[in-house]
Amino acid sequence: MGKPKIALYWCSSCGGCEESVVDLAEDILTVVEAVEIVFWPVAMDFKYEDIAAIPDGGIVASLINGAIRMEEQARIAKLLRQKSKYVIAHGSCAHLGGVVGLANFYKKNAVLDRAYKEVPTIHNAQGILPKEKTDDSGREIELSAFHDTVKALDQVIDVDYYIPGCPPPPNLIKNAIMSLLEGRLPPKGTVLAETKALCHTCPRRESKPDKIMIREFKRVWETEWDPSRCFLDQGIICLGPVTRGGCGERCIQANMPCKGCFGALESVIDQGAKSASFLASIINAEDPEEISQIAASIPDPAGLFYRFSLPSSILKGKIDKEAK
Amino acid sequence: MGEKIGIYICECGPNIKDAMNLDELVTFAQGLENVAFAKTFKTLCSEEGKALIGKEIKGNHLTRLVIAACSPKEHEVTFRKVLKSEGLNPFFLQIVNIREQCAWVIKDRSQATEKAKFLIRAAVHRVIHHEPLEERQMECQPDVLVIGGGIAGISSALVLAQKNRTVYLVEKLPCVGGKVARYEEVFPNLECASCMLDPKMDEVLHHEHIEVLTLSEVQEVLGSYGNFIAKVKTKARHVDTRQCIGCGACFEACPVKVKNEYNEGLNERKAIYVPYAGALPYVAVIDEEHCLHFQGKDCVACQKGCPFGCIHFDEKDQDRELRVGAIVLSSGFDLFDPTRASELGYGQVENVYTSLEFERLLSSTGPTGGKILMKNGQPPKKIAIIHCVGSRDKRYNEHCSGVCCAYSLKFAHLAKAKLPEASIVQIYSDFCLPGKASQGFFYQLDQDKKSEFLHMRGADTIKIDQKDGRIHITYTDVNGKPAQIAADMVILSPAIEGARDAETLARVLHISQGKAGFFVEEHAKLAPVSTMNEGVFIAGCAQGPKDIQSAVAEGQAAAGRIISRLIPGERLTLEPMVSVVDETCCSGCKTCIGLCPYKAPIYDAEKKCAVINELLCKGCGVCVAACPSGAIKARHFTDQQILAEIKGLLI
Amino acid sequence: METFEPKIVGFLCNWCSYEGADSAGKAQKACPANLRVVRVMCSGRIDPQFVIQTFMEGADGVLILGCHPGDCHYKEGNYNALKRYTVLKNMLKGFGIEEGRLRLDWVSATEADKFVQVVSDMVEHVKQLGPFNHHNH
Repeated sequence: MGKPKIALYWCSSCGGCEESVVDLAEDILTVVEAVEIVFWPVAMDFKYEDIAAIPDGGIVASLINGAIRMEEQARIAKLLRQKSKYVIAHGSCAHLGGVVGLANFYKKNAVLDRAYKEVPTIHNAQGILPKEKTDDSGREIELSAFHDTVKALDQVIDVDYYIPGCPPPPNLIKNAIMSLLEGRLPPKGTVLAETKALCHTCPRRESKPDKIMIREFKRVWETEWDPSRCFLDQGIICLGPVTRGGCGERCIQANMPCKGCFGALESVIDQGAKSASFLASIINAEDPEEISQIAASIPDPAGLFYRFSLPSSILKGKIDKEAK
Repeated sequence: MGEKIGIYICECGPNIKDAMNLDELVTFAQGLENVAFAKTFKTLCSEEGKALIGKEIKGNHLTRLVIAACSPKEHEVTFRKVLKSEGLNPFFLQIVNIREQCAWVIKDRSQATEKAKFLIRAAVHRVIHHEPLEERQMECQPDVLVIGGGIAGISSALVLAQKNRTVYLVEKLPCVGGKVARYEEVFPNLECASCMLDPKMDEVLHHEHIEVLTLSEVQEVLGSYGNFIAKVKTKARHVDTRQCIGCGACFEACPVKVKNEYNEGLNERKAIYVPYAGALPYVAVIDEEHCLHFQGKDCVACQKGCPFGCIHFDEKDQDRELRVGAIVLSSGFDLFDPTRASELGYGQVENVYTSLEFERLLSSTGPTGGKILMKNGQPPKKIAIIHCVGSRDKRYNEHCSGVCCAYSLKFAHLAKAKLPEASIVQIYSDFCLPGKASQGFFYQLDQDKKSEFLHMRGADTIKIDQKDGRIHITYTDVNGKPAQIAADMVILSPAIEGARDAETLARVLHISQGKAGFFVEEHAKLAPVSTMNEGVFIAGCAQGPKDIQSAVAEGQAAAGRIISRLIPGERLTLEPMVSVVDETCCSGCKTCIGLCPYKAPIYDAEKKCAVINELLCKGCGVCVAACPSGAIKARHFTDQQILAEIKGLLI
Repeated sequence: METFEPKIVGFLCNWCSYEGADSAGKAQKACPANLRVVRVMCSGRIDPQFVIQTFMEGADGVLILGCHPGDCHYKEGNYNALKRYTVLKNMLKGFGIEEGRLRLDWVSATEADKFVQVVSDMVEHVKQLGPFNHHNH
């Protein structure tokens, strides 16, 4: 029978999720002992054909990280879906669209122009943009098509489980794999982390007063803040209340407020909208002018509240009047 | 899901029938998912209509109902009753407003029909998600705590002390009666205040259902309406109330003299004392702060002097927990402190008094036995009464206290009666004399020429100082011209403000204070004696300046409200459409706690999550929208129901 | 060419604005048919998630109507609506949603004329803006 087969793949990603797997440290030996990794482009030399050769459902689980922006990513994701019993969306980008999803605030052309023509470090006098097919002295070079928008993994294939986080803490990855191998799987679609928001396990929760009222929201560099007090109580935007827990509050412990990478809780359909709601509720003003002023102290609310979840939000991205 | 929705479309006579194509509407409605049938009826709210619906609910085994008719504000309650009587949960109903917001505002027939279609479809989508809601009931305490033993509190207590109901009257002073007990006569009939009040105080002190706790203050209040726990601390009196007959032997023996605060510091009392002659309960009390024994000195003079052995130095303060269903806060007022306006000379110029001080001078139980005397022991020849001190003045208080003009007239009247040769002058800026009798009181005084009236532009123009052995008052008259008079005695009529310790009470009772420190009522017009904290009522000057009649009315009103809802033996019915926290989702982020004006959500430190007190929740849904985890559900207005309605409106 | 008739979804609070809408009906005032109403107990119940979902379901405009400041039946609910609306508006700018597609206003139980005015103004304004493109992404 052989050991259960596992595949890992990366789409539009930064590599952090792969790092996280490596961060399993000694535990990686436990994993490697129990499974046979049949695909892991960052670390091993298997090819797409090797995957195609596996019978359908022959891979126990594929951990796919990164968002889908390129056609190749969609193609391989679909291939892995076909060949896998379970597909696990690994990390924020696969789970929700991730930071790379913020590209959905721009049209495809604007993204390409920026990357290939406008950045100060580029020298591209002819304004060449990547094309799907290029003729290079008689040989045809193919580049994967660049999609119009960024998508989360479950917007392209059927996903069984989600390991949230940017990147996910190594223990969550290990637990996911071990649960799989030991047959202790929760219902399909479960996000493999806590079911309550960060505040539940936050070390600063006890210092949070019953009533927080903000006269001005502050950026971390604008104030000297107390490392033992709740960030919100000090006027610093922390998305802990609106973010799923389970990360061990790594950021809080490093004295930085939560940015929301684990995504929203189960009963919330749009993390960004809920962030707007709960932060608005703690504004300490009744006069419309004052409210506007305090609201204006939240920099870039769209980017801030949808930092990790834009593609999987209700609006998914900037509204394009011309789109059909 | 297998729901069977019955849709009834009311013709409402010609109102709806003529405004849209009902046949088209019926066909459309019948084609919607989960709909068993759709039909019209002439007037659904009629007995016939209701009977038909009732019959068809049972006959067709309907599980949900959609009624498209007039505004739900007209008949939602009516139709809910019909469902209830047929054994279907009354909340399995959704009303569609196709009259006020459709037929009556859209003149184009086809537009009206189209709109009615969307609205009905939205209702069909929503009603599938309705949940059965029950009206629940809760045990409650019928007993009541009244804080403040003045006229308002006493009035309230007497009404409340009905059979099977105990009233705890907590008073911080050693005696009851508040300010009114220290007035001699009250306007407009100049009746004797103690004749009016004494019988009431006696009744309260001896009533079988009223327990009076003097020298007591409420330290903490826990719980909520129907089930409060009030922690009360009673200071040791050191005198046995059952034995002491007020003979006075102890005060004669006591070597310590202290300014008597009950006579506004105008005379002295001893360290063991009774506040004033006639104070009830007429029992001595030891002032620990000034008593030599409590300073560590070896003095037991009062104990030696007492013929009945009433004095017990070792008596301890007592802490008690009172379980009550409601609280009436009638903690009274304090006067504006004239030292804040140094130009008035109060405290610097001799014989300048506040109205409360003058009340004590007039009183037969006061420092002069009722004689109006200056500091030098002589009667004044000219008395000036200055209105609006600290009132209607942006620097201090904007409000008018409403009673000072009347009592100023009273002072003029009483002063003239006691000193027929004296001249009384009133310096006023406006006359405030509402009510049935006050205007007549003014005419009487004016007719008898008992008082001279000088019209000033405002009390902010008044300056008082000493000149040539007399009090010199300068002011700007109503025409803008400078004016001046000299007098031997000046009475200031200061603004009535919230009591100085009101802030503590506001904190303990979780209610708000408004301008000038008065407690804030729930609704200025429709709920003047209740507060945002359900079960805590306010009455008398604690709520705002007012005369005795109004204070009594409020005390009785608060009692009435309590009696009509907290009934011994009956349980409290809870509103079903409230919000509830799902403890499996709540992270304890406390966002909801700070938002609720009714203090319904509380943080449970043990469970580490929020819990909503269903008795206090009004179902507004503010916390539901704010909850970052989506952990709070607004019954009958859940996210799921509203989102389904939105979808039905637009698909 | 068919004139574009915007779909406006209005969230009206039970105590003031819903009554205000009813009073427009009682006074037989003509009101644009474009408005589709969702009744809530308080404007403070309105979750920004509802607003966004409403756009994505096909609305071209969203109108939130509550009691005048100081008159809220639940004391402060309408202030919460105002605060959320302010933050939400700023956020929606980032999504390219034009000013005026989301509107908040106060209508009391007797302000039938104001109700009709606000709805008419909104319909006109959104007509100018054109349809909300929810066929996005």
